[in-house]
Amino acid sequence: MASQNTSKRLSDLHPGEGATVVSVEAQGPVRRRLLEMGFIRGAHLRIEKLAPLGDPMELVIKGYHLSLRREEGDCILVSQEQ
Amino acid sequence: MVTIALAGNPNCGKTSIFNALTGARHHVGNWPGVTVERRSGHSDMGNLEVEVVDLPGTYSLAAQSEDERIAARFLSDPSVDVIVNVLDASNLERNLYLSTQLLELHRPIVYALNMADDAERQGTRIDLKALSALLGGPVIPTVGNRQEGIQQLKDAIVRVATGVEPTIRPVSVSYGDDIERELVKLVGEIGRDEHLASERPPRWLALQLLEAAPEAEAIVDQSHARAAIRAQSQTSVAFLEQHLGADCGTLLAERRYGFAHGLVKEAIQEMGTGQRSFTDKLDGLLTHRWLGIPIFIAIMIGVYALTFIVGKYPQDWIAAGFAHLHDWAAAHVPPGELASLLVDGIIPGVGAVVVFVPVIMLLMGCIAFLEDTGYMSRAAFIMDRLMHLMGLHGKSFIPLIMGTGCNVPAVQATRTIESRTDRFITILVCPLVSCSARLQVYILIAGTFFPPVQAAFAIMALHFLGFGLAMLMGKVLRLTLFRGENAPFVMELPPYRLPVLKSTLIHMWEKGRVFLSRAGTVILAGATLVWFLSHYPGISNRQWAVERQQKEEAIRAQKLPTIQETEQLEALQLAHESRVMNSSLAARFGKLLQPALAPILDPDHKRPEAWKDGVALTAGFVAKEIVVGTMAVVHQARAEKAEAGASLSPLQETLKRHSGMTPLTALAFMVFTLIYTPCLGTVGMILKETRSWAWTSFSIAYGLGLGWLLAFATVHVGRLLGFA
Repeated sequence: MASQNTSKRLSDLHPGEGATVVSVEAQGPVRRRLLEMGFIRGAHLRIEKLAPLGDPMELVIKGYHLSLRREEGDCILVSQEQ
Repeated sequence: MVTIALAGNPNCGKTSIFNALTGARHHVGNWPGVTVERRSGHSDMGNLEVEVVDLPGTYSLAAQSEDERIAARFLSDPSVDVIVNVLDASNLERNLYLSTQLLELHRPIVYALNMADDAERQGTRIDLKALSALLGGPVIPTVGNRQEGIQQLKDAIVRVATGVEPTIRPVSVSYGDDIERELVKLVGEIGRDEHLASERPPRWLALQLLEAAPEAEAIVDQSHARAAIRAQSQTSVAFLEQHLGADCGTLLAERRYGFAHGLVKEAIQEMGTGQRSFTDKLDGLLTHRWLGIPIFIAIMIGVYALTFIVGKYPQDWIAAGFAHLHDWAAAHVPPGELASLLVDGIIPGVGAVVVFVPVIMLLMGCIAFLEDTGYMSRAAFIMDRLMHLMGLHGKSFIPLIMGTGCNVPAVQATRTIESRTDRFITILVCPLVSCSARLQVYILIAGTFFPPVQAAFAIMALHFLGFGLAMLMGKVLRLTLFRGENAPFVMELPPYRLPVLKSTLIHMWEKGRVFLSRAGTVILAGATLVWFLSHYPGISNRQWAVERQQKEEAIRAQKLPTIQETEQLEALQLAHESRVMNSSLAARFGKLLQPALAPILDPDHKRPEAWKDGVALTAGFVAKEIVVGTMAVVHQARAEKAEAGASLSPLQETLKRHSGMTPLTALAFMVFTLIYTPCLGTVGMILKETRSWAWTSFSIAYGLGLGWLLAFATVHVGRLLGFA
């Protein structure tokens, strides 16, 4: 294993992979909405699946299921759990 | 009178608690100035008379969206006595985030721990006593859709309202020393304005200012102490961000989630292991990579069939009922203007409104059912990619599909789209989808001017054109008028649940009633206006009425066989109606429109009868299928086929021989009919859903413009390609 933690964008994760939120880079209403939904530093999440057409993605955070578009996933930095 | 407000996340089962508390006795309206539904009802709890107000489901009170603004404003209003916070027991941590904000309002709160059975089944044990102590209010486990725990909830509300509940105590989230210190400073500045401080809880206002909530800033701007308050809030924000290394929004969210997480840790034992196994299995199928889309299409076909095929029966019964009423009135009311108002204006006008009720109720029932099961968000999940490319939302797909049946319920179905921008764009493009009423016009025109195979092809092409335009306009509107208002697609996928039939039925009943009362008035007024325009002044012409009477007597005097007599009488009636129509204000309007329509319907100025198209299109504003009936009257030829074997109806023969329309202008006519304006029923619904005359007028105006342009393009591109 090269490194325990690799910083990535949420949208680069694949189904089945888990990660911890590092930071939310979005601004304005998107940022606030993401924070409210539980994307705070240190929150664990797991990618469940992609929609049949490849976007959006379904993930589990704080024990519930959520879907996000790729463009929102692009502005969330996570550290992947190996 | 005690007022209680129901607050909670979307999908927490708030509506079922509301229904259980109020029974069927509730009132559906709108919050002032917006399209968000406001539901309130009475409930008798012991000796107390209680008004229950259902707030829109929100994840927070940050006052970002319309829903949150309404909830925040209502909750901070002094008229609320008790807040009932409905929590989804199986998703407690996220649900408690809203509670942390409710606590800042310093109002007595009763917590309804809903779907407690779900949580228990997942193996979650919740320590109610601990939770109640930590939240500073009674916690009542409920199962809203089975009425469980409702009596206990009522008892708790009564105890809290009368001030005898022992668990009530003020609780605040502790935001840590640094933030708390800044909050104290800010509260101090707010306290300079006594009025402001007494109107809203100062600490709540201070938190909102740290988060830069526009609503709170607007409130502060009204205050005489605004300069001091704004200065302090800027200093605090700058200090905290520098000192704690993150922006205030993040800091507050982290502390709130910290509080919620701590609570869950304290009060929940044995976290379930088999969580969502049923939902996960079902999702494995319903959002499957290959099967997801076919299943979605199958479900859509099912909903469509149920709505428009099954709905056709009650629709036909209602139409038949109104036809009987019409015939009865025609036979019994003495002929004259009043009879015509009744027979040709009000009865068909009311009929036109009422026939929509079955399809609206069925479609809204299906949608409520899908929504309650949790499938609706999966449908959006599946379709979002495609819809997003076109500037729309995953949830826009269902209204667009339903629009092929009827645009009226389709526009109402946009209610499921939370974001205002996405909803408005969908409402504006929905009328471009070709509905079943327009099909009747295509059948008439295409059947006249095209051989059968080409006619079928043209009709299909028009449907694709409508759908394609809806997509294209979605993108155009997104890039122009709704630019920059991009709502995030952060959508919860709630666990699947079995809906309660009763709440679906209540929902259907509400939708039908609201449609009749709101959209109905607009449609009725419009229908009466068009009746007036298409009958005056001819209908009050005594001379014509006398002439008609004399001719009728002459026909009867001939003592012809019944069939011939009826035929001649019908021809006479049609001739008379035609005379009235062709001299009416609508006809004058049609002639007035002629120069505008000439480039698309009469490009060579060789059609003396082209103005009749204008009349038919004007009347078609009420409902597109009326174009057919009006064509029959203005051309004085019956739209029904004379005999079963005939390939063309008398109207089609007349159009072919005398109207001067060519296949190319016929196609332009159909393109224009597809786009030119939403029908009156749809306009009524758009007005009801947008609550804006500006957007409603816009939807008519851009339709007219786009319709004209495309019809023009049809004629001229067609010419270039060598068609006539």
